[in-house]
Amino acid sequence: MADFEDVIDAINKALDSADTSTANTSMRIPTALRDAAAMVVNELGAAPSTTALTSSAMRSAIEAIAMQAVLDNHYRNHPSTRPSLADLAIAAAELDGHPLAAHHDRIRSAALEIVERHPNADSDDVLLWAEARMLSTA
Amino acid sequence: MSHVVVLDNEAVQALGDTSHPKHARVVSHLQVVAQRKRKALPIRVVVPTTVRVEAGWDRSSSEWAFANRLRIGDVSLDGTHANVAAAIRSLTLVSVADAHLGSVMRACAADRITVLTSDDDDMRRIADPVPIIVVHI
Repeated sequence: MADFEDVIDAINKALDSADTSTANTSMRIPTALRDAAAMVVNELGAAPSTTALTSSAMRSAIEAIAMQAVLDNHYRNHPSTRPSLADLAIAAAELDGHPLAAHHDRIRSAALEIVERHPNADSDDVLLWAEARMLSTA
Repeated sequence: MSHVVVLDNEAVQALGDTSHPKHARVVSHLQVVAQRKRKALPIRVVVPTTVRVEAGWDRSSSEWAFANRLRIGDVSLDGTHANVAAAIRSLTLVSVADAHLGSVMRACAADRITVLTSDDDDMRRIADPVPIIVVHI
Protein backbone atom coordinates (compact mmCIF):
# COMPACT_ATOMS: atom_id res chain seq x y z
CA MET A 1 0.00 0.00 0.00
CA ALA A 2 1.34 3.44 -0.92
CA ASP A 3 2.57 5.80 1.77
CA PHE A 4 -0.25 8.05 3.02
CA GLU A 5 1.70 11.28 2.61
CA ASP A 6 2.75 10.32 -0.92
CA VAL A 7 -0.87 9.63 -1.87
CA ILE A 8 -2.08 12.97 -0.49
CA ASP A 9 0.76 14.82 -2.21
CA ALA A 10 -0.06 13.09 -5.50
CA ILE A 11 -3.75 13.99 -5.15
CA ASN A 12 -2.93 17.62 -4.39
CA LYS A 13 -0.46 17.76 -7.28
CA ALA A 14 -3.13 16.45 -9.65
CA LEU A 15 -5.70 18.94 -8.34
CA ASP A 16 -3.23 21.82 -8.82
CA SER A 17 -2.10 20.70 -12.25
CA ALA A 18 -2.30 23.28 -15.02
CA ASP A 19 -2.69 20.46 -17.54
CA THR A 20 -5.97 21.11 -19.36
CA SER A 21 -5.91 18.00 -21.48
CA THR A 22 -9.04 15.86 -21.24
CA ALA A 23 -9.77 12.18 -21.41
CA ASN A 24 -12.82 10.14 -22.30
CA THR A 25 -13.85 7.84 -19.51
CA SER A 26 -15.98 4.77 -19.36
CA MET A 27 -17.54 5.85 -16.07
CA ARG A 28 -21.06 4.52 -15.69
CA ILE A 29 -23.59 6.67 -13.86
CA PRO A 30 -27.31 6.14 -13.33
CA THR A 31 -29.31 7.23 -16.39
CA ALA A 32 -31.70 9.26 -14.25
CA LEU A 33 -28.78 11.15 -12.70
CA ARG A 34 -27.38 11.89 -16.15
CA ASP A 35 -30.80 13.22 -17.20
CA ALA A 36 -31.07 15.38 -14.07
CA ALA A 37 -27.61 16.78 -14.73
CA ALA A 38 -28.54 17.63 -18.30
CA MET A 39 -31.64 19.48 -17.09
CA VAL A 40 -29.86 21.60 -14.47
CA VAL A 41 -27.32 22.54 -17.13
CA ASN A 42 -29.72 23.17 -20.02
CA GLU A 43 -32.74 24.50 -18.16
CA LEU A 44 -31.26 26.11 -15.04
CA GLY A 45 -27.90 27.20 -16.44
CA ALA A 46 -26.10 25.70 -13.45
CA ALA A 47 -22.90 25.09 -15.43
CA PRO A 48 -21.63 25.48 -19.00
CA SER A 49 -21.95 21.73 -19.59
CA THR A 50 -22.62 18.48 -17.80
CA THR A 51 -18.90 17.77 -18.10
CA ALA A 52 -18.11 21.04 -16.29
CA LEU A 53 -20.75 20.28 -13.68
CA THR A 54 -19.37 16.81 -13.06
CA SER A 55 -15.75 17.98 -12.98
CA SER A 56 -16.53 20.77 -10.53
CA ALA A 57 -18.47 18.47 -8.21
CA MET A 58 -15.75 15.84 -8.39
CA ARG A 59 -13.01 18.39 -7.63
CA SER A 60 -14.90 19.69 -4.60
CA ALA A 61 -15.51 16.19 -3.31
CA ILE A 62 -11.87 15.17 -3.76
CA GLU A 63 -10.62 18.33 -2.02
CA ALA A 64 -12.94 17.71 0.93
CA ILE A 65 -12.00 14.04 1.23
CA ALA A 66 -8.27 14.81 1.01
CA MET A 67 -8.50 17.58 3.61
CA GLN A 68 -10.36 15.34 6.03
CA ALA A 69 -7.87 12.53 5.45
CA VAL A 70 -4.99 14.89 6.30
CA LEU A 71 -6.75 16.03 9.48
CA ASP A 72 -7.58 12.44 10.52
CA ASN A 73 -3.95 11.46 10.01
CA HIS A 74 -2.90 14.45 12.13
CA TYR A 75 -5.24 13.33 14.91
CA ARG A 76 -3.77 9.83 14.80
CA ASN A 77 -0.27 11.25 15.16
CA HIS A 78 -1.25 13.94 17.68
CA PRO A 79 -4.36 12.76 19.54
CA SER A 80 -4.46 15.81 21.79
CA THR A 81 -5.20 18.02 18.79
CA ARG A 82 -8.47 16.26 17.96
CA PRO A 83 -11.24 18.78 18.67
CA SER A 84 -14.19 17.77 20.82
CA LEU A 85 -17.77 18.31 19.71
CA ALA A 86 -17.88 21.43 21.86
CA ASP A 87 -14.64 22.72 20.31
CA LEU A 88 -16.13 22.26 16.85
CA ALA A 89 -19.37 23.97 17.80
CA ILE A 90 -17.42 26.93 19.20
CA ALA A 91 -15.31 27.09 16.05
CA ALA A 92 -18.41 26.93 13.85
CA ALA A 93 -20.05 29.72 15.83
CA GLU A 94 -16.94 31.86 15.62
CA LEU A 95 -16.45 31.34 11.89
CA ASP A 96 -20.01 32.50 11.27
CA GLY A 97 -20.10 35.33 13.78
CA HIS A 98 -22.95 33.53 15.55
CA PRO A 99 -24.43 35.43 18.54
CA LEU A 100 -23.38 32.57 20.83
CA ALA A 101 -19.77 32.68 19.68
CA ALA A 102 -18.70 34.59 22.76
CA HIS A 103 -20.51 32.22 25.11
CA HIS A 104 -18.23 29.21 25.14
CA ASP A 105 -19.66 27.95 28.41
CA ARG A 106 -23.17 27.75 26.99
CA ILE A 107 -21.95 25.94 23.91
CA ARG A 108 -19.97 23.46 26.02
CA SER A 109 -23.02 22.80 28.20
CA ALA A 110 -25.17 22.30 25.13
CA ALA A 111 -22.64 19.85 23.68
CA LEU A 112 -22.73 17.79 26.88
CA GLU A 113 -26.53 17.79 26.96
CA ILE A 114 -27.20 16.99 23.34
CA VAL A 115 -24.98 13.91 23.10
CA GLU A 116 -27.01 12.29 25.88
CA ARG A 117 -30.05 12.31 23.59
CA HIS A 118 -28.37 12.41 20.20
CA PRO A 119 -24.98 10.67 20.25
CA ASN A 120 -24.37 11.51 16.58
CA ALA A 121 -25.04 15.23 16.93
CA ASP A 122 -22.73 17.52 15.00
CA SER A 123 -21.54 21.06 15.69
CA ASP A 124 -24.55 22.64 13.97
CA ASP A 125 -26.87 20.56 16.17
CA VAL A 126 -25.03 21.82 19.25
CA LEU A 127 -25.49 25.42 18.22
CA LEU A 128 -29.19 24.91 17.56
CA TRP A 129 -29.54 23.25 20.96
CA ALA A 130 -27.66 26.06 22.67
CA GLU A 131 -29.76 28.67 20.91
CA ALA A 132 -32.99 26.92 21.87
CA ARG A 133 -31.84 26.64 25.48
CA MET A 134 -31.00 30.31 25.54
CA LEU A 135 -34.41 31.29 24.14
CA SER A 136 -36.26 29.05 26.60
CA THR A 137 -34.52 30.68 29.54
CA ALA A 138 -34.82 34.25 28.23
CA MET B 1 -23.27 31.65 0.63
CA SER B 2 -19.56 31.75 -0.26
CA HIS B 3 -17.18 31.95 2.67
CA VAL B 4 -13.47 32.74 2.77
CA VAL B 5 -11.35 32.18 5.89
CA VAL B 6 -8.12 34.19 6.04
CA LEU B 7 -5.17 33.33 8.28
CA ASP B 8 -2.95 35.92 9.91
CA ASN B 9 0.62 35.48 11.10
CA GLU B 10 -0.11 33.88 14.46
CA ALA B 11 -2.77 31.59 13.01
CA VAL B 12 -0.18 30.31 10.54
CA GLN B 13 2.45 29.88 13.23
CA ALA B 14 -0.04 28.03 15.44
CA LEU B 15 -1.04 25.77 12.56
CA GLY B 16 2.53 24.90 11.72
CA ASP B 17 3.65 23.99 15.23
CA THR B 18 1.92 21.20 17.17
CA SER B 19 3.44 22.51 20.40
CA HIS B 20 2.02 26.01 19.88
CA PRO B 21 -0.57 26.73 22.59
CA LYS B 22 -3.13 27.70 19.94
CA HIS B 23 -2.47 24.83 17.53
CA ALA B 24 -5.53 22.79 18.50
CA ARG B 25 -7.74 25.86 18.36
CA VAL B 26 -6.72 26.68 14.77
CA VAL B 27 -7.09 23.02 13.81
CA SER B 28 -10.64 23.02 15.19
CA HIS B 29 -11.55 25.83 12.80
CA LEU B 30 -10.02 23.99 9.88
CA GLN B 31 -11.94 20.88 10.90
CA VAL B 32 -15.17 22.87 10.60
CA VAL B 33 -14.05 24.04 7.16
CA ALA B 34 -13.44 20.40 6.17
CA GLN B 35 -16.87 19.36 7.41
CA ARG B 36 -18.50 22.13 5.43
CA LYS B 37 -16.59 21.16 2.32
CA ARG B 38 -17.95 17.63 2.76
CA LYS B 39 -21.41 19.20 2.74
CA ALA B 40 -20.49 20.90 -0.56
CA LEU B 41 -20.66 24.36 0.99
CA PRO B 42 -18.49 26.92 -0.85
CA ILE B 43 -15.80 27.63 1.74
CA ARG B 44 -12.03 27.96 1.37
CA VAL B 45 -9.03 29.01 3.43
CA VAL B 46 -6.44 31.44 2.11
CA VAL B 47 -3.23 33.04 3.29
CA PRO B 48 -1.59 36.18 1.89
CA THR B 49 1.91 35.28 0.71
CA THR B 50 3.51 38.04 2.78
CA VAL B 51 1.88 36.55 5.87
CA ARG B 52 3.55 33.29 4.94
CA VAL B 53 6.87 35.14 4.74
CA GLU B 54 6.35 36.74 8.14
CA ALA B 55 5.37 33.41 9.70
CA GLY B 56 8.19 31.52 8.03
CA TRP B 57 5.90 29.17 6.10
CA ASP B 58 8.05 27.71 3.34
CA ARG B 59 5.91 25.40 1.22
CA SER B 60 9.01 23.55 0.04
CA SER B 61 9.96 22.66 3.62
CA SER B 62 8.93 19.34 5.13
CA GLU B 63 8.51 21.15 8.45
CA TRP B 64 5.31 22.61 7.02
CA ALA B 65 4.00 19.35 5.56
CA PHE B 66 0.77 19.35 7.59
CA ALA B 67 -0.19 22.90 6.58
CA ASN B 68 0.91 22.28 2.99
CA ARG B 69 -1.46 19.34 2.64
CA LEU B 70 -4.55 21.23 3.81
CA ARG B 71 -4.95 23.02 0.48
CA ILE B 72 -4.78 26.51 1.96
CA GLY B 73 -4.58 28.86 -1.01
CA ASP B 74 -1.94 31.54 -1.51
CA VAL B 75 -2.99 35.08 -2.39
CA SER B 76 0.01 36.74 -3.98
CA LEU B 77 1.04 40.36 -3.60
CA ASP B 78 0.44 41.39 -7.21
CA GLY B 79 0.38 44.98 -8.45
CA THR B 80 -3.23 45.60 -7.52
CA HIS B 81 -2.84 44.23 -4.00
CA ALA B 82 0.42 46.18 -3.61
CA ASN B 83 -1.36 49.45 -4.37
CA VAL B 84 -4.14 48.80 -1.88
CA ALA B 85 -1.70 47.49 0.71
CA ALA B 86 0.48 50.58 0.33
CA ALA B 87 -2.53 52.81 0.98
CA ILE B 88 -3.52 50.75 4.03
CA ARG B 89 0.00 50.85 5.42
CA SER B 90 0.27 54.60 4.94
CA LEU B 91 -3.00 55.11 6.74
CA THR B 92 -2.66 52.62 9.58
CA LEU B 93 1.10 52.00 9.98
CA VAL B 94 0.54 48.25 10.15
CA SER B 95 3.13 45.74 8.95
CA VAL B 96 3.51 44.91 5.25
CA ALA B 97 1.96 41.50 5.88
CA ASP B 98 -1.06 42.99 7.66
CA ALA B 99 -1.46 45.60 4.91
CA HIS B 100 -1.49 42.79 2.35
CA LEU B 101 -3.97 40.93 4.51
CA GLY B 102 -6.18 44.02 4.47
CA SER B 103 -5.99 44.26 0.70
CA VAL B 104 -6.95 40.59 0.41
CA MET B 105 -10.02 41.10 2.58
CA ARG B 106 -11.01 44.27 0.75
CA ALA B 107 -10.77 42.57 -2.64
CA CYS B 108 -12.53 39.39 -1.54
CA ALA B 109 -15.82 38.82 -3.34
CA ALA B 110 -17.08 36.20 -0.90
CA ASP B 111 -20.38 36.72 0.90
CA ARG B 112 -18.68 36.11 4.24
CA ILE B 113 -15.07 36.78 5.26
CA THR B 114 -13.62 35.47 8.50
CA VAL B 115 -10.10 36.13 9.72
CA LEU B 116 -8.32 34.02 12.34
CA THR B 117 -6.07 36.42 14.20
CA SER B 118 -4.54 37.46 17.48
CA ASP B 119 -4.91 41.13 16.60
CA ASP B 120 -8.64 41.88 16.44
CA ASP B 121 -8.51 45.66 16.30
CA ASP B 122 -5.94 45.87 13.53
CA MET B 123 -7.93 43.44 11.40
CA ARG B 124 -11.05 45.59 11.61
CA ARG B 125 -9.06 48.72 10.77
CA ILE B 126 -7.33 47.26 7.74
CA ALA B 127 -10.47 45.65 6.32
CA ASP B 128 -12.64 48.73 6.75
CA PRO B 129 -15.12 49.33 5.12
CA VAL B 130 -15.52 45.65 4.24
CA PRO B 131 -17.44 43.80 6.98
CA ILE B 132 -15.49 40.88 8.38
CA ILE B 133 -15.86 38.36 11.16
CA VAL B 134 -12.89 38.38 13.50
CA VAL B 135 -12.02 35.21 15.38
CA HIS B 136 -9.54 35.80 18.16
CA ILE B 137 -7.27 32.79 18.47
